[in-house]
Amino acid sequence: MSTDPASPVLRIEGLVKRYGPHLVIDGVDLDVTAGQVVVFVGPSGTGKSTLLRCVNGLEDIQGGRILFEGQPVLSRSSAIHAVRRRIGMIFQSFNLYPHLTALQNVTLAPVKVLGEPSKEVEERARGLFRKVRLEHRAHAFPSQLSGGEQQRVAIARALAMNPHLLMFDEPTSALDPETVGDVLAVMEDLAREGRTMLVVTHEIGFARHVGDRMIFMDGGKIVEDRPPEEMIANPENPRTRQFLGSILHH
Amino acid sequence: MYEFALAGLLPYTGPLPRAIVLTLWLSTLSILLSVAVGVLGALCRTSTSLVLRWIGGAYVEVLRNIPLLVVIYLIFFGLAQVGLRVDGFNSALIALTLNAGAYMTEIFRGGLIAIPRGQYEAARSQGMTAFQLYRYVVFPQVFRIIYAPLGNLMIGIVIGSSLASVIGVEEVTTWMRRAGDETFRYMESFLAVGVIYVVLAQTINIGRIVTGRWLLSRAPIGHRR
Amino acid sequence: MSSQVAAYWYVFLKGVGITLWISWLALILGGAVGLVIGLLRIAPWAAVRWAAIVYIEVFRSVPPLVLFFGCFYGLSYAMKLDLSPFSAATIALTLTASALMAEVVRAGIESVTRGQWEAALSQGMTYPQVFRYVVWPQAIRVMLPPSVGVYISTLKDSSLASIIGYVELTKSGLLVRESTGISFEVLLIIAILYFVINYSISLVGAALERRFKYVH
Repeated sequence: MSTDPASPVLRIEGLVKRYGPHLVIDGVDLDVTAGQVVVFVGPSGTGKSTLLRCVNGLEDIQGGRILFEGQPVLSRSSAIHAVRRRIGMIFQSFNLYPHLTALQNVTLAPVKVLGEPSKEVEERARGLFRKVRLEHRAHAFPSQLSGGEQQRVAIARALAMNPHLLMFDEPTSALDPETVGDVLAVMEDLAREGRTMLVVTHEIGFARHVGDRMIFMDGGKIVEDRPPEEMIANPENPRTRQFLGSILHH
Repeated sequence: MYEFALAGLLPYTGPLPRAIVLTLWLSTLSILLSVAVGVLGALCRTSTSLVLRWIGGAYVEVLRNIPLLVVIYLIFFGLAQVGLRVDGFNSALIALTLNAGAYMTEIFRGGLIAIPRGQYEAARSQGMTAFQLYRYVVFPQVFRIIYAPLGNLMIGIVIGSSLASVIGVEEVTTWMRRAGDETFRYMESFLAVGVIYVVLAQTINIGRIVTGRWLLSRAPIGHRR
Repeated sequence: MSSQVAAYWYVFLKGVGITLWISWLALILGGAVGLVIGLLRIAPWAAVRWAAIVYIEVFRSVPPLVLFFGCFYGLSYAMKLDLSPFSAATIALTLTASALMAEVVRAGIESVTRGQWEAALSQGMTYPQVFRYVVWPQAIRVMLPPSVGVYISTLKDSSLASIIGYVELTKSGLLVRESTGISFEVLLIIAILYFVINYSISLVGAALERRFKYVH
């Protein structure tokens, strides 16, 4: 979707993020080109989610820089809104707007933020509900939906902005096991469409089948960055081996 | 041009300490008595007897919905007419106790019903007596829930005690009216008394905050689900 | 009811009307002031937050009765403002109600989780847009039931206007008591009237609370 396929959609250079004295991201470099599906794995608290939040300007950064489609991401600048409109974010806890129906959740931002005519947006939203296989639930309120359904609405909500990058922050961690599959299936569809995606997850199966790259993070650093098949079959770093061993045997 | 002069009140400061003591005395007695009423009320409200629950509920609803001033008048003027003469201080004390007792009832009830059944069952299964059950298991948990609204209610009682001035109790608000009437320095007497009430209320408020910090430092209980 | 007291029914009725009116007015004014103070209370600047806290704590700590005096006599003498009992009572009630409403507003806005802010920001909304479309519609639902509580509290406080000679429900009762010499019965009627009004309002409040809970 980016104009020049050679130039990365997302470029991160020497990113440093601190909470007070606590170093969460310790010099991360990363290029993501259009159409790549990058899966982040690693123990919790190693900065994977924080990395996504920095890309969206939800966190300020203490060092390095983030370029999205060539434009710097600065959490405190007024240009951040324009960046966020082109990045769709899916949260672990869905964060649907509880006072709006599923359909209204999807149409709110395109109408109010992008100023698109509500008729068109609604038309598009219906298509998105088909895509996430929830066309029968469009008029339900979030509290009437299961976790898996809520997360699929959240995906539709992100897609409604026609984003150039989708970021999933542990999208299935808060779900009942039986609904995880529905969400992963939708994510797989999106990957097949050629969307650029960053996914933080513990679903190694998803990483293996859908991911183009798998990144193992530990201690705020990228430890290993390889195609998933390779990394899972033959982890180079002892920490990667230990981590993958611990989650594959569960 | 009006000249603001707190010094104008100086000749009238003599009775002020006594007035403050009376406000404190009336408030303290009302707090203690209304705690007793509240415990009784909460036991009624959570009792298995329908009649007791109804009586408790009616008491709370009636007293919460009638202005304290009207309750004071009813006791001071109204009862006198039917042959029961109650002096100003005791009228105010009874009215404050009845009024605050209704709120106490709701606070204690809220604390009691927040303790899951499993807590009682666990304690009983360990062979605790009823006293031990309440002393070591129920009360410490209830206290965490009620201390904050309890502090607010205590402030409410101090504020409510100002109404005793309308039936001639010589407390702080009466002093303000009198000092104002005699010097025409109403603004000064108002501000002086305002400061006194702010100090009294904030002492309770700070006590409430300190209690909260202390509870948190002892054993932080997260949001239980 | 003795016919002597019953003859004054219109005085009671008028008292009810005036009490409802002045407490409603104070609730609206107090709500407007309280909204501003409540927003300042959660502002990102510490000095502004502290100013709001001081306002809230002062008007929560000073008895309304004392405020009535301050507004009626204090302002009248100090500022040479010849305030009517109505104006003084409205100001005093508004000050008390605004401190209560500020806390209601703060609690309402703080009840909206961080995740809601983040979800809306991540969609490219500006702060005003997040507030208007996401936070406020949720906060107002949380604020409604306690606002009803503030109305009841303000309505009860309005009885204190009788002390500065404003003829609302309580003062009406005291006037009837003076002209008939009957205390208990008259005061009981006043108490019952307050109860009926406030209890009805609290029932409306409970209905609102049910209505505004999200569909389950």
